[in-house]
Formats: sequence, C-alpha cells, structure tokens
Amino acid sequence: MNKEIALITGASRGIGRAVAVSLGSRGWHVIVNFLSRRDAAEETLKQVTEAGGTGELLPFDVANYAACETAVQQCIATHGHIDVLINNAGIRKDELLVWTDPESWRAVIDTDLTSFYNVTRPVVKEMLLKRKGRIVTVSSTSGRTGLPGQVSYSAAKAGLIGATKALAKEVAKRHVTVNAVCPGFIDTEMIGSMDHEALLRTIPLGRLGTAHEVGETVAFLCGEAAAYITGSVIDINGGIYT
Amino acid sequence: MRREEIVERVNKAILADFDVEEDVMQPEAKLGDDLGLDSLDGIDLVVAIEKEFKESRVTIAEGAVRKLRTLKDIYDYVETHVAANP
Repeated sequence: MNKEIALITGASRGIGRAVAVSLGSRGWHVIVNFLSRRDAAEETLKQVTEAGGTGELLPFDVANYAACETAVQQCIATHGHIDVLINNAGIRKDELLVWTDPESWRAVIDTDLTSFYNVTRPVVKEMLLKRKGRIVTVSSTSGRTGLPGQVSYSAAKAGLIGATKALAKEVAKRHVTVNAVCPGFIDTEMIGSMDHEALLRTIPLGRLGTAHEVGETVAFLCGEAAAYITGSVIDINGGIYT
Repeated sequence: MRREEIVERVNKAILADFDVEEDVMQPEAKLGDDLGLDSLDGIDLVVAIEKEFKESRVTIAEGAVRKLRTLKDIYDYVETHVAANP
C-alpha cells in the first residue's frame, strides 16, 4: 500500500510526539527523528502504532546539513516520497542577552532556525518534482511577541515565520503548501521549570494548552481540508497573543 | 555521441516535459525568455536531461544548472559530459 509518509523532526517528546500520534491516528507512516533520546523516540513510535499508524526511527542532527541530506535521501530511497515534513526540533536556552555567549546563541539558532534550511531544502526538492507536499513548521508565540530571556529563541522562531511565508510563495505553483503554527504555553517538559500559576494569570483561556491540541492542528494542516492554506501562521495560545 | 543526436535528444526531453512549442527550439533560444521556463522548472530540467542521458551518466550539478541560459548551453554541457563518460 502506498501510504502517506511524514517526517517529523524532534519527535521523541512533547509537541513532536503529539504530532506523530495525531498523524498516526490518521493512518500515516511516521518517520520519527530524534537526536539522543532513543528511549523516548521508541515510546513515540509505540504510541503511533497504538493510534493506528506505522512508523520508524531515524536519528540525525537537524543542525548538521550533511546529516540531514543523507537522512532525507535515505527516506526517499526507502519510501519513494515524503508527503509531509514537520519542522519541529528545537531547543531553548533562556538567559538575558547580556549573559548569552556566542556558543549558546549559535546552538539555538542552528537547532531552531538553520534546521529549517537543513531539512526543508532536500525535502522540498522532492516535493517539487512530485508536485505535492505539505510543510508545517512549529514556531512559537515567542517568535510573534518576543519574550525577555528568550532573545535567541524569539529570533529563531520569528525567523521561521519569515521563512515559512517566503517559501510558501516560492513553491505554491507546484502545489506544495508551507505553514507554521505558533504554540503558546503548552503543557510539556519545555515549560517544566516555569511558574505555572504566574503563567495561567497571563492566559485568557486560563489554562495551558495540550500537546494533543497542537498535534491535531498540525494534522489538520497536513490534510486535504487544508489544501488552500499556505503561508499561514496559526496561533495556538489560549488568546495570549491575538 | 554525435552533436546532432545530443540536440535531438535534449529537445525531445524538453518537449516531453514542458509546455514548449517545437518551433522555439533553436540553439540560441533562452530558457527563460523564449522557452518560458522559470527557476523552479530548473529542477525538472535537470531530472529530464539526466534521465535522457542516463546511459552516459550525465549529471548536472546545482552550480552548473544556474549557468545554463540557452539551449546551446545545454547541448554543450551534455556534449562535454558525454565525452567524459564514453
């Protein structure tokens, strides 16, 4: 059977895992990328299978262009196509800019922003030839509003929005859509150290979002019903930024 | 491979893959202005030419494709690379 194939970067935990499960529940074959947490990636794969999908693990470093190109070629050789790319991998190093050393800055920009280029470039070439494809990138409310203590993260996530809008215009005539989602405060490990009570007071809907809600929004953008949506940025933030 | 055969096969590959009128296929025809190919079409052009000359292992590197401006540029490129892989 010629299944729909989705490559999800940073899918071992959190939002990446939720996207994997949402696509799996729609019967997709999910390629679960991760860097170091194999045990967590295997748990993602288990949940994808339980949801009704199929999948496989594909470890590679999204900050390394050669590694990304090789991994994408491997996917194409195995499956013949990649229908959906979810650019989700990301890290945060929260600190004031005055305390951010060059290595810390580069680590965030390389993993969160340059990874968009590293993975999307080889994938979109194949999508252009097939005249079909969906690219969804996980940005952040931090990239919309800017947050103190997250200058590098806000810069990278805002960059992803610009890249999404520009690429959408480049490839639209080949029926490849490119969109982004901007989650706000989502109940994942990434906000584990934050003061939840203080956060809740800032959110109009009065609660954290769930990774499942983000996963379902991304899955919608990958489906037929979203065929006319491109260059869009969908906020999933409980009203914290409108 | 004779030049005439290269010209014929390049033209055949382009006419098969792109919406181009046959009478436009002159050596000096510009890929953009005359054939109407845009930068995205360059990806398909590479695939079409490499497929047509697969037996000669002709490959068009990313840097090279941006230098192809006319049909003659393609004929010359293929001729050079076919000669390198007889």
